[in-house]
Amino acid sequence: MLAIEGLTKTYGASAAVRDVSLTIERGSFVGVIGRSGAGKSTLLRMVNRLTDPSAGRILFEGRDVTALQGAQLRAWRRSCAMIFQQFNLVGRMDVMTNVLTGRLSHASHLRSLLNMWSDADKAMALAALEQFDMASLAARRVDQLSGGQQQRVAICRALVQEPDIILADEPIASLDPRNTKAVMDALLRINKHFGITVVCNLHSLDLARSYCDRLVGMSAGQVVFDAAPEALTDDVARNLYGLEAGEVLELASPVSFPATTTPVAA
Amino acid sequence: MTQIFDPSRFSSIAARHHEVMRLGARQRQMMFAGAFLGVLLLVFGLIEADFSLSRIINGTGKLGDFAVLMFPPEPGPLFKTYLHALGETLAIALLGTVIAAILAFPFAVLASRNVLPFWLTRFVVRRSFDTIRGVDTLIWALIWISVVGLGPFAGVLAVATADFAAFGKLFSETIETADPKPVEGIRSTGGTAAQEFRFGILPQILPVIAGQILYYFESNTRSATIIGIVGAGGIGLHLSEQIRTLEWQRVAFLVLMVLAVVAVIDFISSRLRTAISGAKPI
Repeated sequence: MLAIEGLTKTYGASAAVRDVSLTIERGSFVGVIGRSGAGKSTLLRMVNRLTDPSAGRILFEGRDVTALQGAQLRAWRRSCAMIFQQFNLVGRMDVMTNVLTGRLSHASHLRSLLNMWSDADKAMALAALEQFDMASLAARRVDQLSGGQQQRVAICRALVQEPDIILADEPIASLDPRNTKAVMDALLRINKHFGITVVCNLHSLDLARSYCDRLVGMSAGQVVFDAAPEALTDDVARNLYGLEAGEVLELASPVSFPATTTPVAA
Repeated sequence: MTQIFDPSRFSSIAARHHEVMRLGARQRQMMFAGAFLGVLLLVFGLIEADFSLSRIINGTGKLGDFAVLMFPPEPGPLFKTYLHALGETLAIALLGTVIAAILAFPFAVLASRNVLPFWLTRFVVRRSFDTIRGVDTLIWALIWISVVGLGPFAGVLAVATADFAAFGKLFSETIETADPKPVEGIRSTGGTAAQEFRFGILPQILPVIAGQILYYFESNTRSATIIGIVGAGGIGLHLSEQIRTLEWQRVAFLVLMVLAVVAVIDFISSRLRTAISGAKPI
């Protein structure tokens, strides 16, 4: 169980995340929704400790991970794998090596720096790639792949970390609809098949409703909604995104302008 | 730890992808072979250069003798002259660097593949840079002295010439590493080639180039001292004179003066560079 208690991150006078408390059960698929700048990314980054909180605690299975340092911090990061919107892969390295970086904290330090991996690690990386039909691309350079393929490589990297939690920060924001489905299905499979907890920041409410079993809505750094997807009515969603009552969320029709030839600045 | 992978299946997976399993090995062999050749070359070079540890150790004693003779550093009656000469050295470094940068920039643009796709201009400009760069600042100083006579003017020309070529190469390489996406963005708005450069490339490269110029100014303060020794003006002339006449205390004082100035410039320019790159205000 992941427990977040009063977590706050301030930058100067402004707070990106303000007093957030959440309890996330093992094996759940939690979607975090809200507008850009609501603090979703900062929240996930604090859990992985890529960003240090200004106040509050993060507890995993009762253990405080907020103050971990050195080897213990790295072990914690290993156990909560990150997936990024821009993939954060090493474009100039091949797919195989990128996936193997997920084994860094398991491998011997000197051998890993020499890019020497055990056969078991390599086989594990290939097993992960096979799950997503990517094994044939193992020798290709990552920057030659499409966005959807790159995100699947990133998921493989996360998977070979053998994590307890996967933190996905808007993993599908730069993908087309087909790849979006492939990536979300992959996350769902990992969640259902291996029981790995998934916490996923999402923009699309449709996706959030269909994939997640719990939704957390954030606004201005605070949690303003926390319930099952069914409870996310249009009213709640409109409120969350700061829209007027008349505005519709998904498939909104464009604003109509009167036909005119008058220049704007005339 | 969550059990995700079944280790009993690993051998069959490894067998299925045996080429991928051996992927890193070839690379590593090449790397080790390269490293081995490098070490071999180093050892060969040291032997050829009469490397001798005992000579270093014996010589260190002499270094100590000089150090004693240098103490305490004192300027003699010529302090004002030295100060003036130090100013001259600084002026040589600054003028030389600025002139070199201004002249080098347009040629660097001509030598950049992403701005000018004609290989002939690029080839000619690049090889010219190489030729000029093949001659060291010190040699350029000797050449310019024979053209314009002794003095700081020859020093400025020497620094400018040598750095013109160095900047040309550095700038053009910087321009070539610029991200092509902003350029495409400007092109898509209907911009001319010059506008593409001005708005697509220039904002990307300007901070990098400014940093390079500042670094060269730092390093030229040192080389302007050296070229003074051959007569191209500045504090180097006094330094070589005092070494020739074995006035070690004055030598020590001059060296300390140069050190102090270099340290100050170092400090200022590193602050400026961080400010230009936008990382931190001055």
